[in-house]
Amino acid sequence: MLTRADLAKYPFVAEATDYVRELGFSIDEIATPEFSPVLDRAERRLEEALSKSQISVEVSNESAEILSFPVSNLILGLIGDERARRRFALAEAKRAYDLLRQESPEKLEHIATTTFGWRLERLDIRLGLRLYDFGLNLADFLRNSVHLREPRWNLPNRVLNHGLVYVTREETARLMEEEVRMRVLERSSKVPASVPQPLGSKVERARGLVIKWLGIPTQYELPKVPMPDAMPPCIRHLIDNLNEGKNVQHMGRFALAAFLLNIGAGDEEIVKMFKPATDFSERMTRYQVEHIGGKRGGRTKYTCPMCTTLKTHGVCFKPDKICDTIRNPLSYYKRKSRILSGKGPSREFS
Amino acid sequence: MSSAEHLIKQKFQQFYLERNRTLFSPPAASQREYGFLLFKGKFMVRHRTFKNPETLLTAIRDLSPAHVYFSTAYYQDPTASMDQKGWLGADLVFDIDADHLDTPCKIMHDNWKCKACSTVGKGSAPKTCPKCKNDRVEIETWLCDRCLQEAKEETIHLLEMIFSDLQMGDANLSVYFSGHRGYHVHLHSEDFRMLREEQRREIVDYLLGEQLDPSLQGMEDVPEGGVLILKGPQWGEPGWRGRMVRGIYEVLTKEGENLGLNQAQLKVINAWDKANFFTKPFWSSLKGINAGTWKNIVQRAVRETAAKIDSVVTSDVHRLIRLPGTLNGHTGLLGVNVPLERLDEFDPFIESIAFPEGQVKITVKDSPEFRIGSQNFGPFHDEKIELPTAAAMLLLCKHKAEPTS
Ligand code: SF4
Ligand SMILES: [Zn+2]
Ligand SMILES: [Zn+2]
Repeated sequence: MLTRADLAKYPFVAEATDYVRELGFSIDEIATPEFSPVLDRAERRLEEALSKSQISVEVSNESAEILSFPVSNLILGLIGDERARRRFALAEAKRAYDLLRQESPEKLEHIATTTFGWRLERLDIRLGLRLYDFGLNLADFLRNSVHLREPRWNLPNRVLNHGLVYVTREETARLMEEEVRMRVLERSSKVPASVPQPLGSKVERARGLVIKWLGIPTQYELPKVPMPDAMPPCIRHLIDNLNEGKNVQHMGRFALAAFLLNIGAGDEEIVKMFKPATDFSERMTRYQVEHIGGKRGGRTKYTCPMCTTLKTHGVCFKPDKICDTIRNPLSYYKRKSRILSGKGPSREFS
Repeated sequence: MSSAEHLIKQKFQQFYLERNRTLFSPPAASQREYGFLLFKGKFMVRHRTFKNPETLLTAIRDLSPAHVYFSTAYYQDPTASMDQKGWLGADLVFDIDADHLDTPCKIMHDNWKCKACSTVGKGSAPKTCPKCKNDRVEIETWLCDRCLQEAKEETIHLLEMIFSDLQMGDANLSVYFSGHRGYHVHLHSEDFRMLREEQRREIVDYLLGEQLDPSLQGMEDVPEGGVLILKGPQWGEPGWRGRMVRGIYEVLTKEGENLGLNQAQLKVINAWDKANFFTKPFWSSLKGINAGTWKNIVQRAVRETAAKIDSVVTSDVHRLIRLPGTLNGHTGLLGVNVPLERLDEFDPFIESIAFPEGQVKITVKDSPEFRIGSQNFGPFHDEKIELPTAAAMLLLCKHKAEPTS
């Protein structure tokens, strides 16, 4: 079904993995001259992702295009920089989307079912102005759609029939993009036990690129707070945005910093957290954080803005049911952490 | 413990001690967490697990709890603390409760009280106290035929929506009466089992029609011959498309006058031939209704046709929920399995009676009229009487009476 040219376009598919395995190349051979196009392309993949969040399609050398993908993942795993991994996953996913949206329904179906294990049915149904090519299993749909923000991805705005969500060809490609993003993220998280010798210099070069485009590589993690799982949706969303290198408006930053300070994260950690932001200025951020924390200026320790304020500034994001019962993200955190630790209100039921 | 609680606990224990008592056993019973709410101090015992229904029954016989719960989730280690349990998925459950329905009888039989300033009122509890704005408002509900009938109809409506929109082949579905004011629907499905909280919330939003945007369900102004014509979905189309049309039809034909439609428009509506809607959409026949009115009509239509489920229960992936076959401490009635084909004729006031024998002497403070079995009781006001055990238990559990010493 898929040609080698297809594998070059979609190096994440199951067949591409098989192809790489069948070539049976070992990590030591990577240093040999025949492989230099692969290593170069792997490095360029990373640089393109880091510098412009976009990865080109190089069809001239198919095998380098296929092989460079796992090598990029390997390098990222060795660097272990979360920001870089997210950037790369997003860029690979966008690259896939741009190609997938032009494919025939047959090819979409093939990749979605064999590589992603989606349960997808051909439909060819026209409703109103839209032509639905597929019915996608509800669970497969939801796993991806919950990350997408436009209203058209909310389930109440979908056609749902006997457990199948109707999707157009373009929408299928968009959901596949999301699936690719998750999978690449997952793949690059695998840290090899040791740095294979021949890759050593490449990894150092790549680390240099990360510094160049994303700033000093700090071991980026969620700040060490007692319970990251207990954070409200708005705060998690802000963190995701920073991670993806998106710009976060002043109110969002203020809320995030105030929230984190109030639940006990340290100044240093919070400053680090703002690093991925595109307009990051360490000195400014440090100043703001310390200001919010009460160490500078008026010495008032700021508390986190109320939900109503966050709503008017568009910071509130997908409020959930706990949100209905609180008025401040900090109360959300308190309540949710009690529930998670099992000390919560007994979940009794009438 | 009050003397009423002593008596209830004793009766519950007798019930559980009966020799051939058996318990409902959920699928993968040993991967579930169990919890018991004790009469004494309203204390919750949780994070328990049982190898088989027999050991569970032994524990219930020992404790004689007011409520018995099991987790909708499956865990590697159900006894560990919440974040160490190792979540392995959860059933998809729905709760329909009279609490969420607008029944006209509530004003007669439900009361609320503000814990802060002691203001009291009748009917459904307000979100915050109208006098002191405190949100600690306590509700005292009653269960009546009317409320339970509406809850049952709402459950049937939910089931229709599940079967036509949600259901995938393998899902194994059960319906339970909660022993109080509502019904639970459990879906044990491989497909739904691994859904996370935010994904379940999407399903909740879907069933409630929350934030539904009609323009994304096919209702659009389309230019035709120089004017904008309203186009919309058709009657028999799948999902919310068809449901929206059916709802709009209901709303317009029932209360077109109240929606500010003019005579000409009402005339068109009255001339509609329902049978035709399968083939011929009615959108274009209604001229000159402004966008605001349409929005209003659609909102009403969605509200009328949505399934009124409790959103918290469905999205919570660590929920503890009543174990069918056990007693409900709010009523002394049994939570029972209701076979689908019997749901329509199911009578909770007959089929969930746990104490069919004997009489109990009680002193009733205040109680509306109610039915147990085929007999009506009350209303009562400050009287000493002897009632059949099931009726007496209901009043005792509902804090409407004390045992007569
Ligand atoms: S309601 Fe408050 S806590 Fe919840 S998402 Fe919105 S702003 Fe955050
Ligand atoms: Zn009050
Ligand atoms: Zn009622």
